[in-house]
Amino acid sequence: MSAHASVRPTAIKKIGASEIHILWSDGHASTYRASYLRRHCRCALCVEELTGRPLLAPEMIPDDLTIVSVELVGQYALHFQWSDGHSTGIYPFAELRALCPCPHCASASS
Amino acid sequence: MFGKKVSESDVLRALRQVVDPDLHRDIVSLGFIKNLKIEDSVVSFDINLTTPACPVKERMREEARRAVAQLEGVREVRVNMTAEVRPHLGLDRSALAGVRNLVAVGSGKGGVGKSTVAVNLAAAWRASGARVGLLDADIYGPAVPIMLGHGQQAEVRDNRILPAEHHGLRFISMGLFVPGDKPLIWRGPMAHKALQQCLFDVEWGELDYLLVDLPPGTGDVHLTLAQSVPVTGAVIVSTPQDVGLVISMKTLRMFQQTNIPILGIVENMSYYVCSHCGAREEIFGHGGARRASEELGVPFLGEIPIDVRIRQQADTGTPIVLADPESPAAQAYRAIAERLAAQISIVNYQMTPLRIEEVST
Ligand SMILES: Nc1ncnc2c1ncn2[C@@H]1O[C@H](COP(=O)(O)OP(=O)(O)O)[C@@H](O)[C@H]1O
Ligand SMILES: [Mg+2]
Ligand SMILES: [Zn+2]
Ligand SMILES: [Zn+2]
Ligand SMILES: [Zn+2]
Repeated sequence: MSAHASVRPTAIKKIGASEIHILWSDGHASTYRASYLRRHCRCALCVEELTGRPLLAPEMIPDDLTIVSVELVGQYALHFQWSDGHSTGIYPFAELRALCPCPHCASASS
Repeated sequence: MFGKKVSESDVLRALRQVVDPDLHRDIVSLGFIKNLKIEDSVVSFDINLTTPACPVKERMREEARRAVAQLEGVREVRVNMTAEVRPHLGLDRSALAGVRNLVAVGSGKGGVGKSTVAVNLAAAWRASGARVGLLDADIYGPAVPIMLGHGQQAEVRDNRILPAEHHGLRFISMGLFVPGDKPLIWRGPMAHKALQQCLFDVEWGELDYLLVDLPPGTGDVHLTLAQSVPVTGAVIVSTPQDVGLVISMKTLRMFQQTNIPILGIVENMSYYVCSHCGAREEIFGHGGARRASEELGVPFLGEIPIDVRIRQQADTGTPIVLADPESPAAQAYRAIAERLAAQISIVNYQMTPLRIEEVST
Protein backbone atom coordinates (compact mmCIF):
# COMPACT_ATOMS: atom_id res chain seq x y z
CA MET A 1 0.00 0.00 0.00
CA SER A 2 1.23 3.49 -0.70
CA ALA A 3 2.52 5.51 2.21
CA HIS A 4 -0.40 7.88 1.94
CA ALA A 5 -3.22 5.33 1.90
CA SER A 6 -4.30 6.11 5.43
CA VAL A 7 -4.10 9.90 5.07
CA ARG A 8 -7.58 11.38 4.73
CA PRO A 9 -8.75 14.83 3.73
CA THR A 10 -10.01 16.89 6.64
CA ALA A 11 -11.24 19.78 4.50
CA ILE A 12 -11.98 20.12 0.79
CA LYS A 13 -12.51 23.49 -0.84
CA LYS A 14 -13.36 24.50 -4.35
CA ILE A 15 -11.80 27.91 -4.81
CA GLY A 16 -13.46 29.87 -7.58
CA ALA A 17 -14.03 27.86 -10.74
CA SER A 18 -10.61 26.41 -11.36
CA GLU A 19 -8.93 25.37 -8.12
CA ILE A 20 -9.30 22.63 -5.51
CA HIS A 21 -7.72 22.89 -2.11
CA ILE A 22 -7.35 19.86 0.18
CA LEU A 23 -6.16 19.84 3.77
CA TRP A 24 -4.95 16.37 4.86
CA SER A 25 -5.13 14.59 8.19
CA ASP A 26 -1.32 14.74 8.49
CA GLY A 27 -1.43 18.54 8.21
CA HIS A 28 -0.26 18.73 4.60
CA ALA A 29 -2.11 21.10 2.26
CA SER A 30 -2.47 20.63 -1.51
CA THR A 31 -3.72 23.00 -4.18
CA TYR A 32 -4.65 21.70 -7.62
CA ARG A 33 -5.50 23.59 -10.77
CA ALA A 34 -8.41 22.18 -12.78
CA SER A 35 -6.28 21.80 -15.92
CA TYR A 36 -3.61 19.90 -13.96
CA LEU A 37 -6.14 17.39 -12.59
CA ARG A 38 -7.87 17.03 -15.95
CA ARG A 39 -4.51 16.18 -17.59
CA HIS A 40 -3.99 13.46 -15.00
CA CYS A 41 -7.36 11.81 -15.56
CA ARG A 42 -7.00 8.01 -15.34
CA CYS A 43 -10.38 7.09 -16.84
CA ALA A 44 -10.75 4.59 -19.68
CA LEU A 45 -11.18 7.39 -22.22
CA CYS A 46 -7.93 9.08 -21.17
CA VAL A 47 -5.70 6.05 -20.49
CA GLU A 48 -5.78 2.77 -22.43
CA GLU A 49 -6.87 0.19 -19.89
CA LEU A 50 -4.61 -2.73 -20.75
CA THR A 51 -1.41 -0.97 -21.74
CA GLY A 52 -1.64 2.18 -19.62
CA ARG A 53 -0.84 4.17 -22.78
CA PRO A 54 -2.05 7.78 -22.47
CA LEU A 55 -4.84 8.64 -24.92
CA LEU A 56 -4.87 12.28 -23.95
CA ALA A 57 -2.21 14.78 -24.93
CA PRO A 58 -1.66 17.41 -22.22
CA GLU A 59 -1.80 20.21 -24.80
CA MET A 60 -5.37 19.19 -25.67
CA ILE A 61 -6.44 20.65 -22.33
CA PRO A 62 -6.71 24.44 -22.13
CA ASP A 63 -4.99 26.06 -19.15
CA ASP A 64 -8.15 27.97 -18.32
CA LEU A 65 -10.28 24.82 -18.00
CA THR A 66 -12.83 25.15 -15.21
CA ILE A 67 -14.78 22.90 -12.84
CA VAL A 68 -18.47 22.73 -13.70
CA SER A 69 -19.18 20.58 -10.67
CA VAL A 70 -17.35 18.48 -8.12
CA GLU A 71 -18.84 15.92 -5.77
CA LEU A 72 -17.79 13.26 -3.30
CA VAL A 73 -17.78 9.61 -4.33
CA GLY A 74 -18.63 7.76 -1.12
CA GLN A 75 -15.98 8.77 1.35
CA TYR A 76 -12.98 8.02 -0.78
CA ALA A 77 -12.84 9.99 -4.03
CA LEU A 78 -13.82 13.11 -5.96
CA HIS A 79 -15.74 13.19 -9.20
CA PHE A 80 -15.50 16.22 -11.49
CA GLN A 81 -17.38 17.56 -14.41
CA TRP A 82 -15.02 19.74 -16.43
CA SER A 83 -15.80 22.64 -18.74
CA ASP A 84 -14.60 20.61 -21.76
CA GLY A 85 -17.52 18.22 -21.18
CA HIS A 86 -15.41 15.39 -19.75
CA SER A 87 -16.80 13.70 -16.62
CA THR A 88 -15.76 10.06 -16.50
CA GLY A 89 -12.78 10.31 -14.16
CA ILE A 90 -12.81 9.42 -10.47
CA TYR A 91 -9.97 10.67 -8.27
CA PRO A 92 -9.45 8.57 -5.11
CA PHE A 93 -7.96 10.59 -2.27
CA ALA A 94 -4.84 8.41 -2.17
CA GLU A 95 -4.28 9.24 -5.84
CA LEU A 96 -4.94 12.94 -5.28
CA ARG A 97 -2.40 12.97 -2.51
CA ALA A 98 0.16 11.30 -4.79
CA LEU A 99 -0.63 13.97 -7.41
CA CYS A 100 0.07 16.87 -5.04
CA PRO A 101 1.96 19.40 -7.16
CA CYS A 102 3.64 21.25 -4.28
CA PRO A 103 7.46 21.53 -4.55
CA HIS A 104 7.98 19.23 -1.58
CA CYS A 105 5.86 16.37 -2.99
CA ALA A 106 7.06 16.91 -6.56
CA SER A 107 10.73 16.55 -5.53
CA ALA A 108 9.93 13.49 -3.38
CA SER A 109 8.25 11.66 -6.24
CA SER A 110 10.83 12.37 -8.92
CA MET B 1 -34.63 18.32 56.80
CA PHE B 2 -32.06 20.99 57.45
CA GLY B 3 -29.20 19.59 55.39
CA LYS B 4 -27.76 21.14 52.27
CA LYS B 5 -29.96 21.08 49.20
CA VAL B 6 -28.26 19.48 46.22
CA SER B 7 -28.34 21.45 42.95
CA GLU B 8 -28.31 20.36 39.32
CA SER B 9 -24.81 21.68 38.86
CA ASP B 10 -23.59 19.65 41.87
CA VAL B 11 -25.01 16.53 40.26
CA LEU B 12 -23.51 17.30 36.85
CA ARG B 13 -20.13 18.03 38.42
CA ALA B 14 -20.23 14.64 40.15
CA LEU B 15 -21.26 12.90 36.93
CA ARG B 16 -18.25 14.34 35.12
CA GLN B 17 -16.18 11.75 36.95
CA VAL B 18 -17.87 9.02 34.92
CA VAL B 19 -16.03 8.40 31.68
CA ASP B 20 -17.26 6.39 28.72
CA PRO B 21 -14.42 3.88 28.26
CA ASP B 22 -14.90 3.74 24.49
CA LEU B 23 -15.23 7.42 23.72
CA HIS B 24 -12.76 8.50 26.41
CA ARG B 25 -14.86 11.41 27.56
CA ASP B 26 -17.10 12.05 30.52
CA ILE B 27 -20.78 11.31 30.15
CA VAL B 28 -21.80 14.91 30.83
CA SER B 29 -19.81 16.53 28.05
CA LEU B 30 -20.87 13.68 25.75
CA GLY B 31 -24.43 14.87 26.30
CA PHE B 32 -25.58 11.50 27.68
CA ILE B 33 -27.41 12.93 30.72
CA LYS B 34 -31.09 13.58 30.07
CA ASN B 35 -34.17 14.34 32.19
CA LEU B 36 -32.25 15.33 35.30
CA LYS B 37 -34.71 15.88 38.16
CA ILE B 38 -34.21 16.62 41.84
CA GLU B 39 -37.20 16.22 44.12
CA ASP B 40 -37.04 15.88 47.90
CA SER B 41 -33.38 14.82 47.83
CA VAL B 42 -34.17 12.17 45.25
CA VAL B 43 -32.05 12.60 42.12
CA SER B 44 -33.19 10.91 38.93
CA PHE B 45 -31.77 11.05 35.40
CA ASP B 46 -31.37 9.09 32.19
CA ILE B 47 -28.03 8.06 30.74
CA ASN B 48 -28.65 8.00 27.01
CA LEU B 49 -25.97 5.71 25.55
CA THR B 50 -24.92 5.42 21.90
CA THR B 51 -26.08 1.80 21.61
CA PRO B 52 -28.36 -0.53 23.54
CA ALA B 53 -25.67 -3.19 23.03
CA CYS B 54 -23.23 -1.33 25.27
CA PRO B 55 -20.75 -3.73 26.88
CA VAL B 56 -20.24 -1.54 29.97
CA LYS B 57 -23.80 -0.38 30.54
CA GLU B 58 -24.11 -1.74 34.08
CA ARG B 59 -20.70 -0.46 35.08
CA MET B 60 -21.56 3.08 33.98
CA ARG B 61 -24.90 2.94 35.73
CA GLU B 62 -23.20 1.91 38.96
CA GLU B 63 -20.42 4.51 38.67
CA ALA B 64 -22.95 7.26 38.02
CA ARG B 65 -25.16 6.16 40.87
CA ARG B 66 -22.22 6.08 43.27
CA ALA B 67 -20.85 9.45 42.17
CA VAL B 68 -24.17 11.16 42.85
CA ALA B 69 -25.06 9.19 45.99
CA GLN B 70 -21.99 10.48 47.80
CA LEU B 71 -23.10 14.11 47.40
CA GLU B 72 -24.39 15.80 50.50
CA GLY B 73 -28.16 16.15 50.52
CA VAL B 74 -28.87 13.15 48.29
CA ARG B 75 -31.11 10.49 49.75
CA GLU B 76 -31.71 8.37 46.69
CA VAL B 77 -30.40 8.11 43.11
CA ARG B 78 -32.46 6.69 40.26
CA VAL B 79 -30.53 5.99 37.06
CA ASN B 80 -32.47 5.06 33.98
CA MET B 81 -30.40 3.61 31.12
CA THR B 82 -31.61 4.52 27.64
CA ALA B 83 -29.93 4.30 24.26
CA GLU B 84 -30.08 6.08 20.99
CA VAL B 85 -27.82 4.91 18.18
CA ARG B 86 -26.30 8.03 16.62
CA PRO B 87 -26.47 8.20 12.84
CA HIS B 88 -23.34 7.92 10.72
CA LEU B 89 -22.98 11.28 9.02
CA GLY B 90 -24.01 11.51 5.43
CA LEU B 91 -26.50 8.65 5.41
CA ASP B 92 -29.49 10.54 4.14
CA ARG B 93 -30.10 9.40 0.60
CA SER B 94 -33.76 8.79 -0.15
CA ALA B 95 -34.88 5.42 1.17
CA LEU B 96 -31.83 5.10 3.39
CA ALA B 97 -32.74 8.22 5.32
CA GLY B 98 -33.91 6.15 8.28
CA VAL B 99 -30.79 3.98 8.37
CA ARG B 100 -28.29 5.16 10.93
CA ASN B 101 -25.40 2.84 10.25
CA LEU B 102 -24.42 0.66 7.35
CA VAL B 103 -21.96 -2.03 8.36
CA ALA B 104 -20.26 -4.28 5.80
CA VAL B 105 -19.30 -7.85 6.66
CA GLY B 106 -16.53 -9.24 4.49
CA SER B 107 -14.16 -12.18 4.30
CA GLY B 108 -11.23 -13.26 2.18
CA LYS B 109 -12.95 -16.43 0.97
CA GLY B 110 -16.26 -18.26 1.20
CA GLY B 111 -17.28 -20.77 3.83
CA VAL B 112 -15.62 -19.03 6.78
CA GLY B 113 -18.97 -18.39 8.47
CA LYS B 114 -19.43 -14.80 7.36
CA SER B 115 -23.20 -15.08 6.86
CA THR B 116 -23.62 -16.99 10.12
CA VAL B 117 -21.73 -14.23 11.91
CA ALA B 118 -23.80 -11.51 10.22
CA VAL B 119 -27.10 -13.16 11.12
CA ASN B 120 -26.14 -13.84 14.74
CA LEU B 121 -24.75 -10.34 15.27
CA ALA B 122 -28.00 -8.95 13.88
CA ALA B 123 -30.00 -11.17 16.22
CA ALA B 124 -27.88 -10.19 19.22
CA TRP B 125 -28.35 -6.48 18.49
CA ARG B 126 -32.06 -7.01 18.00
CA ALA B 127 -32.30 -8.83 21.32
CA SER B 128 -30.66 -5.86 23.02
CA GLY B 129 -33.36 -3.58 21.60
CA ALA B 130 -31.74 -2.16 18.45
CA ARG B 131 -33.56 -2.05 15.11
CA VAL B 132 -31.61 -4.15 12.64
CA GLY B 133 -31.69 -5.06 8.96
CA LEU B 134 -29.64 -7.40 6.78
CA LEU B 135 -28.79 -6.97 3.14
CA ASP B 136 -27.65 -10.23 1.60
CA ALA B 137 -25.27 -9.08 -1.11
CA ASP B 138 -23.43 -12.37 -1.41
CA ILE B 139 -24.61 -13.22 -4.88
CA TYR B 140 -22.56 -16.41 -4.96
CA GLY B 141 -24.16 -17.97 -1.92
CA PRO B 142 -27.21 -16.11 -0.62
CA ALA B 143 -27.85 -17.52 2.83
CA VAL B 144 -29.58 -14.93 4.96
CA PRO B 145 -33.22 -15.90 4.17
CA ILE B 146 -32.47 -19.55 4.97
CA MET B 147 -30.67 -18.73 8.20
CA LEU B 148 -33.55 -16.48 9.27
CA GLY B 149 -36.28 -18.92 8.32
CA HIS B 150 -37.99 -16.73 5.72
CA GLY B 151 -41.02 -15.54 7.72
CA GLN B 152 -42.82 -12.62 6.10
CA GLN B 153 -41.76 -12.56 2.43
CA ALA B 154 -40.43 -9.50 0.67
CA GLU B 155 -43.16 -7.68 -1.26
CA VAL B 156 -43.26 -5.24 -4.14
CA ARG B 157 -45.79 -2.41 -3.87
CA ASP B 158 -45.89 0.50 -6.39
CA ASN B 159 -42.26 0.09 -7.33
CA ARG B 160 -41.20 0.11 -3.69
CA ILE B 161 -39.95 -3.04 -2.08
CA LEU B 162 -40.82 -4.05 1.44
CA PRO B 163 -38.10 -6.22 2.99
CA ALA B 164 -38.85 -9.67 4.36
CA GLU B 165 -39.18 -9.84 8.11
CA HIS B 166 -38.61 -12.55 10.72
CA HIS B 167 -37.37 -12.66 14.32
CA GLY B 168 -37.81 -8.88 14.31
CA LEU B 169 -35.15 -8.51 11.60
CA ARG B 170 -35.71 -6.99 8.16
CA PHE B 171 -33.80 -8.56 5.31
CA ILE B 172 -33.50 -8.74 1.56
CA SER B 173 -31.37 -10.69 -0.91
CA MET B 174 -29.77 -9.16 -3.94
CA GLY B 175 -30.79 -12.30 -5.82
CA LEU B 176 -34.34 -10.93 -5.90
CA PHE B 177 -33.27 -8.29 -8.36
CA VAL B 178 -31.84 -10.53 -11.00
CA PRO B 179 -34.12 -10.93 -13.94
CA GLY B 180 -34.80 -14.48 -15.15
CA ASP B 181 -32.75 -17.51 -14.17
CA LYS B 182 -29.80 -17.11 -11.84
CA PRO B 183 -26.80 -16.28 -14.01
CA LEU B 184 -23.66 -18.28 -13.35
CA ILE B 185 -21.49 -15.24 -13.60
CA TRP B 186 -22.55 -11.85 -12.42
CA ARG B 187 -21.27 -9.15 -14.62
CA GLY B 188 -20.24 -5.89 -12.99
CA PRO B 189 -23.13 -3.72 -14.18
CA MET B 190 -25.69 -6.31 -13.08
CA ALA B 191 -24.29 -6.50 -9.55
CA HIS B 192 -24.03 -2.73 -9.47
CA LYS B 193 -27.67 -2.24 -10.36
CA ALA B 194 -28.98 -4.96 -8.02
CA LEU B 195 -27.08 -3.56 -5.06
CA GLN B 196 -28.30 -0.05 -5.75
CA GLN B 197 -31.86 -1.33 -5.83
CA CYS B 198 -31.35 -3.10 -2.50
CA LEU B 199 -30.07 0.12 -1.02
CA PHE B 200 -32.37 2.71 -2.51
CA ASP B 201 -35.59 0.98 -3.61
CA VAL B 202 -36.16 -1.03 -0.46
CA GLU B 203 -38.24 0.50 2.32
CA TRP B 204 -35.83 -0.19 5.13
CA GLY B 205 -37.61 2.20 7.47
CA GLU B 206 -35.94 3.16 10.72
CA LEU B 207 -32.87 1.04 11.43
CA ASP B 208 -30.03 1.51 13.87
CA TYR B 209 -27.85 -0.96 11.99
CA LEU B 210 -28.03 -2.34 8.46
CA LEU B 211 -25.58 -5.19 8.01
CA VAL B 212 -24.41 -5.98 4.48
CA ASP B 213 -23.29 -9.56 3.90
CA LEU B 214 -20.75 -9.06 1.10
CA PRO B 215 -19.48 -11.67 -1.33
CA PRO B 216 -16.10 -13.14 -0.30
CA GLY B 217 -12.98 -11.48 -1.63
CA THR B 218 -13.09 -8.16 -3.39
CA GLY B 219 -15.01 -6.99 -6.41
CA ASP B 220 -17.76 -4.98 -8.02
CA VAL B 221 -20.20 -5.25 -5.13
CA HIS B 222 -17.66 -3.81 -2.70
CA LEU B 223 -16.83 -0.97 -5.00
CA THR B 224 -20.47 -0.16 -5.69
CA LEU B 225 -21.18 -0.11 -1.98
CA ALA B 226 -18.25 2.21 -1.24
CA GLN B 227 -19.25 4.54 -4.07
CA SER B 228 -22.96 4.62 -3.32
CA VAL B 229 -23.24 5.20 0.41
CA PRO B 230 -21.16 6.32 3.37
CA VAL B 231 -20.40 3.00 5.05
CA THR B 232 -19.83 3.31 8.81
CA GLY B 233 -17.27 0.53 8.67
CA ALA B 234 -16.46 -3.07 7.87
CA VAL B 235 -16.02 -6.26 9.86
CA ILE B 236 -13.73 -9.01 8.58
CA VAL B 237 -14.47 -12.64 9.38
CA SER B 238 -11.64 -15.15 9.13
CA THR B 239 -10.79 -18.63 10.41
CA PRO B 240 -7.56 -20.12 11.78
CA GLN B 241 -7.41 -22.12 8.56
CA ASP B 242 -7.11 -19.03 6.37
CA VAL B 243 -3.66 -19.35 4.88
CA GLY B 244 -1.72 -16.90 7.01
CA LEU B 245 -4.74 -14.61 6.82
CA VAL B 246 -3.34 -13.42 3.54
CA ILE B 247 -6.64 -13.38 1.70
CA SER B 248 -8.45 -11.59 4.50
CA MET B 249 -5.74 -8.95 4.48
CA LYS B 250 -6.42 -8.30 0.82
CA THR B 251 -10.06 -7.64 1.66
CA LEU B 252 -9.02 -5.43 4.54
CA ARG B 253 -6.78 -3.34 2.31
CA MET B 254 -9.56 -2.91 -0.20
CA PHE B 255 -11.78 -1.42 2.51
CA GLN B 256 -8.98 0.89 3.57
CA GLN B 257 -8.40 2.04 0.02
CA THR B 258 -12.02 3.07 -0.30
CA ASN B 259 -11.80 4.84 3.08
CA ILE B 260 -14.12 2.44 4.87
CA PRO B 261 -12.99 2.16 8.49
CA ILE B 262 -12.19 -1.35 9.72
CA LEU B 263 -14.37 -1.91 12.77
CA GLY B 264 -12.64 -5.14 13.65
CA ILE B 265 -11.74 -8.75 12.90
CA VAL B 266 -13.69 -11.80 14.08
CA GLU B 267 -12.10 -15.23 14.25
CA ASN B 268 -14.63 -17.97 13.57
CA MET B 269 -14.16 -21.69 14.31
CA SER B 270 -11.36 -20.76 16.70
CA TYR B 271 -11.69 -23.66 19.07
CA TYR B 272 -13.75 -26.73 19.58
CA VAL B 273 -15.99 -27.37 22.55
CA CYS B 274 -16.60 -31.07 23.22
CA SER B 275 -20.37 -31.55 23.25
CA HIS B 276 -20.03 -34.20 25.94
CA CYS B 277 -17.68 -32.74 28.52
CA GLY B 278 -17.42 -29.11 27.47
CA ALA B 279 -13.63 -29.25 27.24
CA ARG B 280 -12.06 -26.67 24.98
CA GLU B 281 -9.72 -27.83 22.27
CA GLU B 282 -7.64 -25.35 20.33
CA ILE B 283 -7.54 -25.46 16.57
CA PHE B 284 -4.22 -25.38 14.78
CA GLY B 285 -3.38 -21.80 13.83
CA HIS B 286 -5.86 -20.38 16.32
CA GLY B 287 -5.01 -16.85 17.46
CA GLY B 288 -3.71 -15.68 14.08
CA ALA B 289 -6.50 -13.17 13.65
CA ARG B 290 -5.83 -11.66 17.06
CA ARG B 291 -2.13 -11.28 16.29
CA ALA B 292 -2.84 -9.84 12.86
CA SER B 293 -5.24 -7.28 14.27
CA GLU B 294 -2.69 -6.24 16.87
CA GLU B 295 -0.05 -5.76 14.18
CA LEU B 296 -2.44 -3.76 12.04
CA GLY B 297 -3.83 -1.71 14.90
CA VAL B 298 -7.34 -2.94 14.11
CA PRO B 299 -9.74 -3.96 16.91
CA PHE B 300 -10.01 -7.69 17.57
CA LEU B 301 -13.69 -8.36 18.22
CA GLY B 302 -13.54 -11.94 19.46
CA GLU B 303 -13.56 -15.66 18.68
CA ILE B 304 -16.38 -18.11 18.03
CA PRO B 305 -16.10 -21.84 18.75
CA ILE B 306 -16.87 -24.61 16.31
CA ASP B 307 -20.21 -25.92 17.44
CA VAL B 308 -22.50 -28.14 15.37
CA ARG B 309 -25.50 -26.41 16.92
CA ILE B 310 -24.48 -23.19 15.22
CA ARG B 311 -24.97 -24.91 11.88
CA GLN B 312 -28.07 -26.82 12.96
CA GLN B 313 -29.76 -23.65 14.17
CA ALA B 314 -28.79 -21.79 11.02
CA ASP B 315 -30.24 -24.60 8.92
CA THR B 316 -33.56 -24.50 10.75
CA GLY B 317 -33.88 -20.74 10.46
CA THR B 318 -33.37 -19.59 14.05
CA PRO B 319 -29.91 -18.19 14.82
CA ILE B 320 -28.35 -19.79 17.89
CA VAL B 321 -28.29 -16.41 19.63
CA LEU B 322 -32.09 -16.62 19.71
CA ALA B 323 -32.54 -20.39 19.89
CA ASP B 324 -30.15 -20.99 22.79
CA PRO B 325 -29.09 -17.62 24.21
CA GLU B 326 -27.13 -19.12 27.12
CA SER B 327 -24.97 -21.47 25.01
CA PRO B 328 -21.24 -20.61 24.85
CA ALA B 329 -21.61 -19.87 21.14
CA ALA B 330 -24.45 -17.40 21.72
CA GLN B 331 -22.42 -15.71 24.44
CA ALA B 332 -19.47 -15.40 22.09
CA TYR B 333 -21.63 -13.79 19.38
CA ARG B 334 -23.20 -11.44 21.92
CA ALA B 335 -19.82 -10.27 23.25
CA ILE B 336 -18.71 -9.57 19.67
CA ALA B 337 -21.94 -7.70 18.92
CA GLU B 338 -21.33 -5.47 21.94
CA ARG B 339 -17.71 -4.75 21.04
CA LEU B 340 -18.74 -4.01 17.47
CA ALA B 341 -21.48 -1.62 18.60
CA ALA B 342 -18.88 0.17 20.72
CA GLN B 343 -16.54 0.49 17.70
CA ILE B 344 -19.40 1.93 15.64
CA SER B 345 -20.08 4.53 18.32
CA ILE B 346 -16.39 5.44 18.33
CA VAL B 347 -16.25 5.89 14.54
CA ASN B 348 -19.38 8.04 14.57
CA TYR B 349 -18.03 10.12 17.39
CA GLN B 350 -14.67 10.76 15.70
CA MET B 351 -15.97 11.11 12.19
CA THR B 352 -15.83 14.54 10.68
CA PRO B 353 -18.20 14.62 7.73
CA LEU B 354 -16.41 15.20 4.46
CA ARG B 355 -18.02 17.87 2.37
CA ILE B 356 -16.89 20.24 -0.31
CA GLU B 357 -16.94 23.88 0.58
CA GLU B 358 -17.31 26.37 -2.26
CA VAL B 359 -15.25 29.52 -1.87
CA SER B 360 -15.66 32.34 -4.37
CA THR B 361 -12.66 34.39 -5.31
N1 LIG C 1 -18.73 -21.55 14.40
C1 LIG C 1 -19.28 -22.47 13.62
N2 LIG C 1 -19.38 -23.75 14.04
C2 LIG C 1 -19.93 -24.69 13.23
N3 LIG C 1 -20.40 -24.47 12.00
C3 LIG C 1 -20.31 -23.21 11.54
C4 LIG C 1 -19.77 -22.16 12.32
N4 LIG C 1 -19.83 -21.00 11.59
C5 LIG C 1 -20.40 -21.34 10.42
N5 LIG C 1 -20.69 -22.66 10.37
C6 LIG C 1 -21.27 -23.41 9.24
O1 LIG C 1 -20.32 -23.33 8.19
C7 LIG C 1 -20.97 -23.23 6.92
C8 LIG C 1 -20.51 -21.96 6.20
O2 LIG C 1 -20.96 -20.83 6.93
P1 LIG C 1 -21.49 -19.53 6.19
O3 LIG C 1 -21.91 -18.57 7.24
O4 LIG C 1 -22.50 -19.88 5.15
O5 LIG C 1 -20.13 -19.05 5.52
P2 LIG C 1 -19.85 -17.89 4.46
O6 LIG C 1 -20.97 -16.92 4.53
O7 LIG C 1 -18.54 -17.32 4.89
O8 LIG C 1 -19.74 -18.55 3.13
C9 LIG C 1 -22.45 -23.24 7.23
O9 LIG C 1 -22.92 -24.56 7.08
C10 LIG C 1 -22.53 -22.82 8.69
O10 LIG C 1 -23.67 -23.30 9.32
MG1 LIG D 1 -22.39 -16.56 3.02
ZN1 LIG E 1 -10.76 10.93 -18.33
ZN1 LIG F 1 2.38 18.28 -1.41
ZN1 LIG G 1 -15.06 -34.39 25.83
